[in-house]
Amino acid sequence: MVVAKKGSPIFQSKEDANFREALKLYDSKQYKKALKLVDANLKKNSNHAESLALKGCCNHFVGNKSEAEPYILKAIQKSPENYLVDHLAGIYYRTVENYEEAAKWLKAANDNGSPNKPILRDLSFMQTQIRDYKNLKDSRQQYLENQPGYRANWTAVAVAHHLNKEYSNAVSTLTKIEGIIREHLTEADRYEQSECALYKNSIIAESGDPAKALQTLEDDKDEIRDGLSYLEYKAKYLLMLNGYEEASVEYRKLLQRNSDNAGYYHLLELSLGSISKPLETRIKLYEKLSKFYPKSDPPKFLPLTFIPASNKAFETKAREYILPQLQRGVPATFVNVKPLYKNHQKLKVIEKIVTEFFENEVGKIANPTVHVWTLYFLAQHYLYLNDLEKASKFIDDALTHSPTLVELYILKAKVLKHQKEYVAASDIMNEGRELDLQDRFINTKATKYYFRANRVDEAINTISLFTKVEDGNVNGCKDLHLMQANWVLIESAEAYSRLYHEYQVKLEELKNSEDENEELEKDVVENIEIYRGLALKRFNAIIKIFKLYYNDQYDFHSYCMRRGTPRDYIDTLKWEDKIHSTPMYTRVLKGLSSIYFELYDEQIKKKEDDLEDNIKIKKANKKQKKVKAQANKKKSELIAKVESEKDDADPLGNKLLTDLAESDIIEDLYLLFKPLIEEGKDLRLTWEVLYKIYLIQGKYVLALQAIKSLNKILTAADDFKFKAVGAKVVELSETLSKDPKVNAAIAKVVEKSLVSTFPQFGELSKEAFLEIYSK
Amino acid sequence: MGRDIVSLDDLTVNNLGVFKKINEVVLPTSYPEQWYKDSLNADQIVKLAYYSELPVAAIKAKTINTSHKAGTYEHMQQQQINSKIIPNAVYIESFAVLPAYRGVGIGKKLLDFIIEETKNKFVHEILLHVHIDNKTTIEWYEKHGFIKDDDIVKDYYKAQGLENPDAYILTLKV
Repeated sequence: MVVAKKGSPIFQSKEDANFREALKLYDSKQYKKALKLVDANLKKNSNHAESLALKGCCNHFVGNKSEAEPYILKAIQKSPENYLVDHLAGIYYRTVENYEEAAKWLKAANDNGSPNKPILRDLSFMQTQIRDYKNLKDSRQQYLENQPGYRANWTAVAVAHHLNKEYSNAVSTLTKIEGIIREHLTEADRYEQSECALYKNSIIAESGDPAKALQTLEDDKDEIRDGLSYLEYKAKYLLMLNGYEEASVEYRKLLQRNSDNAGYYHLLELSLGSISKPLETRIKLYEKLSKFYPKSDPPKFLPLTFIPASNKAFETKAREYILPQLQRGVPATFVNVKPLYKNHQKLKVIEKIVTEFFENEVGKIANPTVHVWTLYFLAQHYLYLNDLEKASKFIDDALTHSPTLVELYILKAKVLKHQKEYVAASDIMNEGRELDLQDRFINTKATKYYFRANRVDEAINTISLFTKVEDGNVNGCKDLHLMQANWVLIESAEAYSRLYHEYQVKLEELKNSEDENEELEKDVVENIEIYRGLALKRFNAIIKIFKLYYNDQYDFHSYCMRRGTPRDYIDTLKWEDKIHSTPMYTRVLKGLSSIYFELYDEQIKKKEDDLEDNIKIKKANKKQKKVKAQANKKKSELIAKVESEKDDADPLGNKLLTDLAESDIIEDLYLLFKPLIEEGKDLRLTWEVLYKIYLIQGKYVLALQAIKSLNKILTAADDFKFKAVGAKVVELSETLSKDPKVNAAIAKVVEKSLVSTFPQFGELSKEAFLEIYSK
Repeated sequence: MGRDIVSLDDLTVNNLGVFKKINEVVLPTSYPEQWYKDSLNADQIVKLAYYSELPVAAIKAKTINTSHKAGTYEHMQQQQINSKIIPNAVYIESFAVLPAYRGVGIGKKLLDFIIEETKNKFVHEILLHVHIDNKTTIEWYEKHGFIKDDDIVKDYYKAQGLENPDAYILTLKV
């Protein structure tokens, strides 16, 4: 941080002079020297707030992290209106990635008259990071007024307006800078100019004025270098403005650029109005397009989507589409037609075509690969129908015919997986992998199948062929964490989860069996602990990576403005706003929630047990300690294999597990799910888990709302009465009646609301109600 | 003109599995792991054949000196020529084409490759053992100019567990 010489407060005392000196040292990263000066200051005057704040910052940077925040807190308590203190506090919180606090104190520094204007820029980054768009506008605007000479600052103001949905302000800002800069553009600025013009254009369109957008687009035509976006925008606006014929011309131009984009064909049809015309007209249109673009797939495939299965043309077209692919040996033939399978009649027609081809034609064709690709197709077909016997037969025949074709092994393994033969499936996948060690695809598949068969070591060893394995490491586990290979992490987390559950079952069996086997029991208990810890650790590794994803946007708040890529910047922000509802993240949450609930049950049980029998456990603990010491040796081998980073402090997730077991598990879980209340409000998982959390926490009104939200999602597609909903309604009502601490008024409200939302609950007996809600 | 649908390619560490798979599926005899590993050595004559980019056949041969007679299959596979001894023949150790891909000229192409290699080594004889019951294979070799030696090698395949474990020796002068 730079302290402006002019306008800084007059230094009244020796402390202030010293402090200024320390600040200089701090700025040049000489933290230890700065600390010395600051300490001297504080010795004389322990109330010198600036020194306290600086000490906090220095402590953080010299690695004395636990001694950082207390000083900052002391400083801001002593003089919250000192802008130097505010600024230092802001810097500290930014460094520890606490953006809320950082924004608060940077704003305070500015409000308290700091002459340091770059604060505003930093502040705007914090505000974007925490999505405080309302205040973002002000800081971006103030900074622009301070530094109007940079286009980036104008773009930043426009983005801030845009994020606040103040479209006209955003557009006028962009227009203004365009006018100012027009005369001074060099060739190097052309890209930025083009992007900003298109950005402005997209805002106009977003504001709901396609006519003006189209007009502006034409006016800016010479500025725009992104020809594809220009055409796409233009065509879209024309469609919106009912300029169908002109739009169709644009879509034909777009098809010339890229005839494999199925979307363009749909839009072309939309502009031609051919969708409502007779079927023959549409077929003819695609026949023509197919002649224009003979190498493109969509004009051949799309007719199959709209010709009804009952029409003779469907069979002809399907035959023309599928058979040449089989003859050429296109591996993806089945995948290409699979979208049509949603229509069962079409599926039947295709089945007939391929079966007939297989029985009558294949034998006559000289090329033997046609035979195997047709078998491959049929195996996939029957797998789709879940006719595993037939699928097995076809894939086995194919393997006998061409045992060196890698694709066949993938499919065979898939069939075995559907037969729940996970170990056999992973063996087959590996057999295929050994045919071509360079093939990353099957390497990945083999890894995944090993995980599914709970063969974690083999999985990691397989994927390690394509990771960096540093000296002294036995596998690529660390590299997989570093490279953020989420799919590996989640598969291993889930494998560990399955493993410890298996051991839990084994433990139950042991406890119930007649003969005592203490040695074995200890072993099983230990394995449960290890695998549960590892599962938790892997799930958490992904949570960490997603935090990184979120933090990573930080750099773009300035970078995208300077580079002039506001359109992509906005897309990035929108994506970041939803990362917690991505399939990967929700899969992690699902896994974590089941562990958390389990631990919670154990926590409750343990409390009960503790009351019942204190002594017994103590004894057991002593014994366990002894066992642990012995087991440690065995563990070090395991640790080498599973370490997620160099010198991992908690390689087995043991600490994670014990910390969690002692914390407020349910509240922790709630914090994990909190972002989903907004981002994942359409996900079943969100409300299933939140309901359970609220129920445990005794937040019955929220639990009720969770049921309602769940019901809304489930019934959105079909108006069924779902078991998942019915059971919860009954459970909530029963829990309410059993809870002695519940506020009577709240109980009444919830009970009433349950009946009004689910009328049958009030009318019928519980059993009858559950019978209705049984889907 | 498109490319020839049949093409030959080298054996590498990454497609060794293919070589193994083809031999295991087609041949009644087995080869030890070490034999496969040694296939990658520079002095070995080995090639894979691809049909429409799919590996379907493989051949492996080595130089030998016929004065060292080896009476069994296992011995024959193990034998490696000493660098001091001058070879006078090329011996085909394994030669397999997937059944579904026979009769389209793949075997001929691999044999031509061996003949070419033999000439390059200034050797004028190619020889191999065939199981006595394997009529079609013997016919195939004869069709391609090999001469069957009338002497039978007794119990050549005995340890491999074949019925009628005797073998013929077939020779081709090049």
